[in-house]
Parts: sequence; structure tokens; C-alpha cells
Amino acid sequence: MTATAERRGDTTAPAGFLARVTAWVLALGGGVGLLAAGTLTVEKINLLADADYVPTCSINPILSCGSVMTTPQAAAFGIPNPLLGIAGFAVVTTLGVLLLGGVRLPRWAWLGLQAGATFGVVFVHWLIYQSLYVISALCPYCMVVWVVTIAIFLYTTLRNLRELPSSSPLSRLAGLAGYHSVILVAWYVVILLAILVRFWDYWSTLG
Amino acid sequence: MTRNTRLTLAMILVVILALLGLTAVNRNSGPRPTSGAGAEVDPAVLVREDSHRLSTAPDGKVTLVEFLDFECEACGAVYPAIKEILDTYQDRLTFVVRYFPIPSHPNAELAARAAQAAAEQGRFAEMYTVLFENQEAWGHQRTPQTETFVEYARTLGLDVDRFRRDLDDPAVAARVASDRADGETAGVQGTPTFFLNGRQLTEIRTQADMIAAIDAALAR
Repeated sequence: MTATAERRGDTTAPAGFLARVTAWVLALGGGVGLLAAGTLTVEKINLLADADYVPTCSINPILSCGSVMTTPQAAAFGIPNPLLGIAGFAVVTTLGVLLLGGVRLPRWAWLGLQAGATFGVVFVHWLIYQSLYVISALCPYCMVVWVVTIAIFLYTTLRNLRELPSSSPLSRLAGLAGYHSVILVAWYVVILLAILVRFWDYWSTLG
Repeated sequence: MTRNTRLTLAMILVVILALLGLTAVNRNSGPRPTSGAGAEVDPAVLVREDSHRLSTAPDGKVTLVEFLDFECEACGAVYPAIKEILDTYQDRLTFVVRYFPIPSHPNAELAARAAQAAAEQGRFAEMYTVLFENQEAWGHQRTPQTETFVEYARTLGLDVDRFRRDLDDPAVAARVASDRADGETAGVQGTPTFFLNGRQLTEIRTQADMIAAIDAALAR
């Protein structure tokens, strides 16, 4: 198993460091996500109370929550998406804060978090696709949720991969943890490029 | 510094540089392909024999050219201002519309062909009005809005069969494409782009700015 040894050696971030980063990502990412989901919920209520209400994040035709919040995609499971966000991010924040406090979470809690984060990241990418190519508008608070959901998923996954027994085929991916922020930034760059390409004509008319 | 940190910082740096580069290219190439900012563009490129005029000044003193995309929100937003300006200045101003459909707008090209198909029956101005007045109804739809445009043609009293034929006529598509090509020659990057007596208007933010520019040209 020299390959494994090399891979582990390649992993420049020590396990303790990655665990701390993961705890911070969960606590801060969860908190920021909670704020964004809370704000979106308040805006949704304002919009329901007054159909002419202009949400605080409707800046121009492209950066606009108003047009995004009123689409069917904004309540994909029959209830407004931000309500899912409030529930999910509250749990993530709690787990993150506990980890920062030195609590050791049981295996099932990590698996549950993995399931939730995976659902979240898939859902968020569906929303990104809808926002860019179907609705053709970007909602700033929603984009905050994209950013934190991706980070939460990535760090939870990297942490869980490292805990796999070396017999598991997926454990070969544990070495990716050494490149955690490279993966995160590359992920964001791909989405940023998609946004730039999609709305290039609009950005360039502003120039 | 770990390899992860180095790679991450390198990637961020590359992206920032690339974005700065793109912005710079975008800035420079804006008015430059033919000449510097505000310099005169060959009038023959801006206004062709067959270009559509919504008003004509007999003295030919002031000519305003708009390169537009019927589906672009900004063009829809300036439409009421243009309408008012045309009402105010009437035959003191020549106003020319050129097609500049932007590929990322799904129905922009089709809308330009619809306007051209109406022009084939001498009703360009009417179709121009209908397209902008109803932009919210047909704009930003993923599916081709052919039937909506045919309905507009019917409402305008056009020969609907001929309109349908013209909509698919390669000659009509070529006419739209040649407008766009002229726009590219003139340095048009996005829509709406205005040229007043051959000079691109770059500092126009409001209707008042536009009126001031026109008045200055009339007074010259």
C-alpha cells in the first residue's frame, strides 16, 4: 500500500487542520445561509402582503430577486425554498458550533449531514441552472446560498472521505482533501464563468 | 505555504487577471474598431439606402441611428423616451433603426425578422411599436414566439401568408444579418447603441441627456 502512504504524504493539510476548517465552514456557512434564507423568507412575506413591493435585492433586470422569487422554481417542493433553507442551515450551524466547542459527533450525525448536504448541493445546482438558463435572472441572496451550500457540501464530503476505511474504493479520493480550497475555488470559478458567459451581453452594455 | 494554498492563490490571481483583461478589452474595443471614442463612423455604414427610418428630416441636418435588439430590456426601456423624442422633433430629426439581435436572447433574431417581414409590406414602424409595447409578453421565452409574431401581423392587418413566408425567407435573414454586420463595423458592442450624426453617444444616461445632445446638434 505504498500508493496510499504516498497519497497520505501528499495530503498537505493535516487531519486536525481540516477538521477545524470543516467546523468553521459549517458554523459560519450555516450562519450565513441561515441569514440569507431568513431574509428571503421576510422578502417573500412582504411580497405576498403587497404585490407591488420591490424586494431589497432587485437591483437591475439581471440582479433581481423579485422576478426569481415569484417563479414556480422558488417553491420546488410545494413550500417556499427559503423555509427548507432555514431548517437545514439551522442544523448545519448547530453542528458546526458543537464541533468548534470540541464535541465529537457520532458517525450517524456525519452521515446525516452528508445526506443533507448532498441533497442541498444537488438542489442548488438545479436552481443555478434554472436561474441562469430558464429564469434569466440572478437573485443575490440566493447566490449567497449557492456559495455556502457548495462549501458545506465540499468540506463535509472531504471530512467523511478521510474517515472511510482504506478498503473502501472511495477512500482513494481522500487525498483530495489536500487540495480542499483549490477544489472550492475551481468550483466557484466554473459557476462565475457560466454567469459571465450567460449574461455577457448585458454586462457589456453596462460598460 | 502548502501546495494547496499556492494553487488556490494562483487560481484566484489568474481569474482576477483574466477578468481585468476582459474588461479592458471590452472597454477598448467598444468604440475603437473604426476609431477612437466619439469619433465619426462612415455615414454609409450607419445608414444604408434600405435602412428603416421612423422619421426623416428634409434638411438632413441631424441623424440619430439606434442599433437595437427587440428583446433587450434596456432597448424596451428607452423605447418610450424615443417615442417622445420622435413626437417632439418630428421632421427636424432623421431617426434610423438598425437590427442588432443579440444571440443570447432566444427570440431576438426572430423578432428582427418579424420586423423585416412587416417592412416587406411597408409596415415596419407598426411592427416596431407592437414588438416593444408587448416585449414583456414575448421576451425571454425559451420557445420560438413565431405564432405570437404572426398574431401581431394579423392585428396590424398584414397579409399573414406572405408574412409567414417572409419570416422564413433567407433574404430577410440576410437583411437582418447585414444590419448586424454594419453595427459590428461601427463598433457596436451591445444594445441599445446610438449614433448621432455619425458619432457614438457614450455618455447618454437619461432622456434629458439625449435631448441635450440632439439640441446641440440642431444648434450647430
